[in-house]
Amino acid sequence: MAHEITADFEKVYDGGPTIRAAFHMPADRPHVTVLFGPSGSGKTTILRCLAGLDRPQAGRISFAGALWFDADQGIMMPPQRRGIGYLFQDYALFPHLTVTQNIGYALAALSVRARATRVNEMITLLKLEGLEDRRPSQVAGGQQQRVALARVLAPHPRLLLLDEPLSALDVPTREELRRELRGLLRSQPSPVMCVTHDSVEALTLADEVAVVAGGRIVQVGPPDEVFSRPVNAQVAAIVGVETVVAARAGERTDGLVALEVGSARLWAIDPAEQATNFFVSIRAEDVTVAVGALPSSSARNHLAGRITEVRPAGPVSRVVLECGFTLIALVTRQAAKDLGLRPGALVTATVKASTIHLIPR
Amino acid sequence: MSWEPIILTLRLAGLTAAILVVVGVPIAYWLTYSRWRWKFLVEAVVALPLVLPPTVLGFYVLVAVSPRSPLGQMYQTLTGHSLAFTFEGLLFASVLYSLPFAVQPFTSAFGAVDPKLVEASWTLGVSRLKTFFRVTLPLSAAGVVTGVVLSFAHTLGEFGVVLMVGGNIPGVTRTVSIDIYDEVQALNYSAAAQTALVLLLFSFVILSVVYALNRRVWAVWPMR
Repeated sequence: MAHEITADFEKVYDGGPTIRAAFHMPADRPHVTVLFGPSGSGKTTILRCLAGLDRPQAGRISFAGALWFDADQGIMMPPQRRGIGYLFQDYALFPHLTVTQNIGYALAALSVRARATRVNEMITLLKLEGLEDRRPSQVAGGQQQRVALARVLAPHPRLLLLDEPLSALDVPTREELRRELRGLLRSQPSPVMCVTHDSVEALTLADEVAVVAGGRIVQVGPPDEVFSRPVNAQVAAIVGVETVVAARAGERTDGLVALEVGSARLWAIDPAEQATNFFVSIRAEDVTVAVGALPSSSARNHLAGRITEVRPAGPVSRVVLECGFTLIALVTRQAAKDLGLRPGALVTATVKASTIHLIPR
Repeated sequence: MSWEPIILTLRLAGLTAAILVVVGVPIAYWLTYSRWRWKFLVEAVVALPLVLPPTVLGFYVLVAVSPRSPLGQMYQTLTGHSLAFTFEGLLFASVLYSLPFAVQPFTSAFGAVDPKLVEASWTLGVSRLKTFFRVTLPLSAAGVVTGVVLSFAHTLGEFGVVLMVGGNIPGVTRTVSIDIYDEVQALNYSAAAQTALVLLLFSFVILSVVYALNRRVWAVWPMR
C-alpha cells in the first residue's frame, strides 16, 4: 500500500448532497484515473478533497503511506504541503502576472537561474514561445490552458488533479489539445486524476475510468470495459449505449483504415493522425441487424455473429451480439420480432465505415 | 492665511492614512475570510464611526486618553507625557474616526478577488500569507488606494473629533477646519475663504483620483 493513494471519505454539504468516495490508485507512476459522470454528480468535490481545498467530514486519505486526511485523528494536511498540481476548470491564471511569472509562480524557492531554466523547459514543452511577456488576458483560450498546465507541472507535483481540463475550449482547440494532453500526461512521472463529463475525453486520457453518479463512485474499470459493459442501468445511462473496444490499425487504403478488433476486421475512415492503437466507438443505433442473404450495400462492414442477449427497452430492443468482439445494436421491437432475433440466432451486423468513431490512444 | 494649520492637517491625514493601511489591511483580511459566527459584531464596531456624531466619538476618545484611564496611564508610563490634547492623541482619534473609510474599501476589494486564484496559489505550495501579498493584495490595489485616499480625505475635513480631543493648540492640534472656524468667529472672512478654498480644491483633486481609479481610467494593469 506504500505506493498507493487510498481514499475513503465522506463530504456532506449543509442541506445539500453527500459525496462519498472510496478508491485507490497508484501513487508512483503516470496512471490516469478519469472521474466520469454528469455535472453535479460530485466529481469536482472528490478532486477538491484530494487537493485539501475541501475538508471531508469523515474518512481518511493517504498518499504513499503519508496521511493527508484523517477525520478521527483530526489530521488535515493543508494543500500547500500535499505537493499536488491542480488544474482549475477555467485555469485560474493570475491576471496581474505575465505568462513567465505565472509558470514560475510556484518556483520562488529556486535560484533565479534555476527558475528561469525550469520556466524555459515548460515554455518549450507546451509550445508557448513568444508569449513569455504577455498577460493571460492577451493570449487565446488554448494558450491559457497551456500556461495553466505549465504552471501546474513546473514544480514537479507528486499528483496531478485536472478539473474538466478541456471544457472551456472551443471545439477545434479542444480536439488538438486532447491529443496533446494524453502524450503530456504520459511523459511526466506522476499519477493523474482527471474529472470530465466528456466520453471522448475519458476514452482518450484514461487508463482507468471511475463513473461517478449521485455522489458515489458506481463503477471502476478500464475505459473500454466501463463503456461497453456498464454494471447497471444507471451507469449505462451515463456512459451511453455504445460499443467501445480496443483496436489496432492495419492496412490503410483509399482514405480507409482496416482495424483489427478482437478476431474481426472493421473498415473506418482513416483519421488524420498516424496512431496505431485506437478505441473504436460505435453507437448502438448505427448498427443494422439482418438475417439471411445480404443485398449489395454501400456499408463497408458486414459482420457475421451470434446473438447473446436481447433486452427490450421501451420501443426498442438492445441486442448484444458476438461477432469477433461484443457489438451492441438498437433495433425496434417490431423488427426484433419480425426477424426472430433471440439469443443464439445467427445474424449479420452492418456498420457504415463513416459511423465508426476512432479515438486514438 | 497661515500655512501652519494646512501643514499640520496634511501631516495628520498622511499619518492617519499610513496607520490605517497597517491596521486596516489585517482587519479587512480577517473580515473577508473569517467564518466566525459573531463576525457581524466586529463589522458593526468598525462601521460605528460612520453613524456616531463626531462629538460622541470624540468624547469617548477624550475619556479613554485621559491620564486617569488605563490607556492614558499606560501611555504616560511609556512616554512620560499625557495623550490628551496632543498631536498623538488627535492621531489616535483620527485613526478610529476614519477606520471604516479604509476598512470597507479594503474588504470589498479583497472580497472581489476570485477565490479560485487564492486556491490556485495554495495548491502551488504558496503559504496563505505569501498568497495574500502575491495575489490578493496586487489584485486589490485599486481598492486599497481608494481606502487610503478616502481616509486621508476624511481626516482632512474632520472637525468635531478634533474639537473634542485636540483642543485648539496652534501647531499641535489646530487643523484647517478649526482654523477656518476660528477665522469666521473672528469675522476674518478673507482668511477663512482662502483656507477654505485650499481645502476645497485639495478635496476635489483627491476625490477625482478616487473616482478615476474606480473607473479604471488609471488601472494599474489591464483587467481580465
